[in-house]
Formats: sequence, C-alpha cells, structure tokens
Amino acid sequence: MYVVIVGCSESGYHLSKALIAGGHEVVVIEKDTKRFQLLTEELGSVALLGDGTDEVTLKRAGVSRADVVVSLTGIDATNLVISQMTKHIFKVPRTMALIKDPKNEPIFHEVGVDLVVNSTHLALASLEEGVPGRPLVHLMNLRVPGMELVSVSIPADSNIVGKRLSEIELPPNSFISLMIKKSGATLPTGRSVVEAEDELVAVTPAGDEQILYDILTGV
Amino acid sequence: MRVLIYGCNRLTTSLVPDLTGEGIEITVLGAERDCLESVATHPGVRVVLTAEPMMQDYLQEGGINHSDVFLAMSSDDHQNILVAQIAKHIYNVPKVVCHLGNPQLQVLYAALGLDVVGYSFGILQDVRQAIEG
Repeated sequence: MYVVIVGCSESGYHLSKALIAGGHEVVVIEKDTKRFQLLTEELGSVALLGDGTDEVTLKRAGVSRADVVVSLTGIDATNLVISQMTKHIFKVPRTMALIKDPKNEPIFHEVGVDLVVNSTHLALASLEEGVPGRPLVHLMNLRVPGMELVSVSIPADSNIVGKRLSEIELPPNSFISLMIKKSGATLPTGRSVVEAEDELVAVTPAGDEQILYDILTGV
Repeated sequence: MRVLIYGCNRLTTSLVPDLTGEGIEITVLGAERDCLESVATHPGVRVVLTAEPMMQDYLQEGGINHSDVFLAMSSDDHQNILVAQIAKHIYNVPKVVCHLGNPQLQVLYAALGLDVVGYSFGILQDVRQAIEG
C-alpha cells in the first residue's frame, strides 16, 4: 500500500514508522525544516520537504498513485483542505484526517473524507476506559449528526441484571446493537437476558447518553 | 435579511458600510478587537469576538441557524473553506460566499460548488477576458 502522510507531528512519526515496518511504501510531507531533518535522520528518504496544501508538492510526492492520504497537520481546517484536494484533484481512493474539534466531524463526513479520526474523542474514550466506576465508553460518532455509538458495562448491582431487553425502557432512538458476554458477542433480541459484567454496545443520541447510562447501570 | 460575516479585516471594513441598509442585520465574527469596534459603529451591525478552538459555538452565537447570507471573508483560506462548507452543508444557509487568495484553491472550490471570490480569481478572469477581447 502506498501511503502519503501530510504533516508530521509525533503521532505522524510513529504512524509512518509502524507503516514502514509493516512493509508499506510511505512518504511524509513536512514543511518545517527542523522536523524534516529529524525525520530524514530517523526514517531515511521517506520525508519530503514542502507544503502539503500545494499542488506542486503533492504531485512531487506522487499523490496520484497513493492508496491513502493521511492529513495530520494539527489544524482541522488544513486537514480538510488537504483531504479535498487529494480526493478531487488527484483522485486518491481513500482520505483520512485527524481532527481536534469534535464538532467538526460532521462536515468532514459531509464533504466525503473517508475516515475521520477524532483525537479528543479518542482521548476521552481511553480516559473513560481507564477510570473505574464510569463504565460508559464512547466508541465513535456516527455519520448521522448527533448520534453516537457507546459501550456500557453492566455492574453486578444494576437494576437490569436478570431482565430481558424487552423489559427495559430505553430513551427514544437509543438501541442496544450488540451484547458482549463472557462467552462471546451476540446480536441481542428482546428475549436476551442481561447478566452482570455484560458489555452492551448501543446507538444513542449524544444528549441522551447520560439517561441511557443511568437506565443500564442504575441501582 | 440576515448576513453573517466571518473574519474582520480590511475587506470586512469596506464591505460592511456597503451592505448596511434598511432591514439588513449584519453580524461580524472576528478575533481582531480593534477591527470589530470599528465595524460596530455602523447601524444594524452586531459583532462577536471569537477565539478559534470554539469556532462552531461562535457560528451559532452569530446566528448561523437563521442567516440568509454567509460570507467567509477572513484572511485564512483554510478556515474560510471550513466555515463556508459548514454554513452550506450543515446549516443550509441559502447564500454562501467564500473569499480565497490562493488560485489553486479558488479553482477547486468553485468546482465543488462554493461561490468563490478573491482578488487573483478576478484577475485571472480579467486577463482572460482582455485576451479574448
């Protein structure tokens, strides 16, 4: 796979290193001379000095034959422009962008960026995963604005332990879409019975996640 | 008519007196305090001081939900592209105009359906028109 990475923050550096180790062909476009030199010392000839929002630089990087372009400049607006330029001018089949402001996610999806990674969301998810007693984890924002996928682990003292899903009243537009038990993942039906330590993956409107959480874990 | 302008600079200060008039409500979003104070002296003009990390909240505060016209006029092409597309595709503002200085971006985003304005954009067309007579 040929991957072009634009902007090389620390995550960009580690990403390129891992991709190279995985046998992929990688070019990293970096406009900062110091970072470019560092990259060249560490990774060899994969680094290209230039502005990744300039058509000429993108052409030099061979973007038109890239399988994926990853925008990691650290500025949401710039990542959007790079994704749209590479998609529309160079016909890159897959574009991926890292964003900081979660509210920018819908416009990235709307204009056709293929994969949007929300760094704030990721940090929040790992934070929530690591904090005991707050077992609601954001998995991702859905393409439908305002809807998200969350995962809730059911504490032993929850009200709903031993109940069937059909007996549980969820907020409107919230759905349990996957049930992960010790024995494995199952597609839940109304008759599925909730047990302690089950992991329920649910789709829910962003504003209702607290209500959903309270219903699923309430005592 | 409600007009929301993103960016406060020399372009905005020339634009605002030209747009003000009866029934026109103008809101200007910008990070430059002096510039905002100067446009706020015109009748019917409201200003909102912004800081970048919460841009989408400012767009809402500026009334993007019920704006008839959105003008992305800042001097940062990339931010203009971001907010203009948010106005057009997320809030469905009926008329969105985007100022771009970079000719490559002008061509791309005009092709992608934005109403693009820009100094060099005009120049390219003027030169072509002059050649073609």
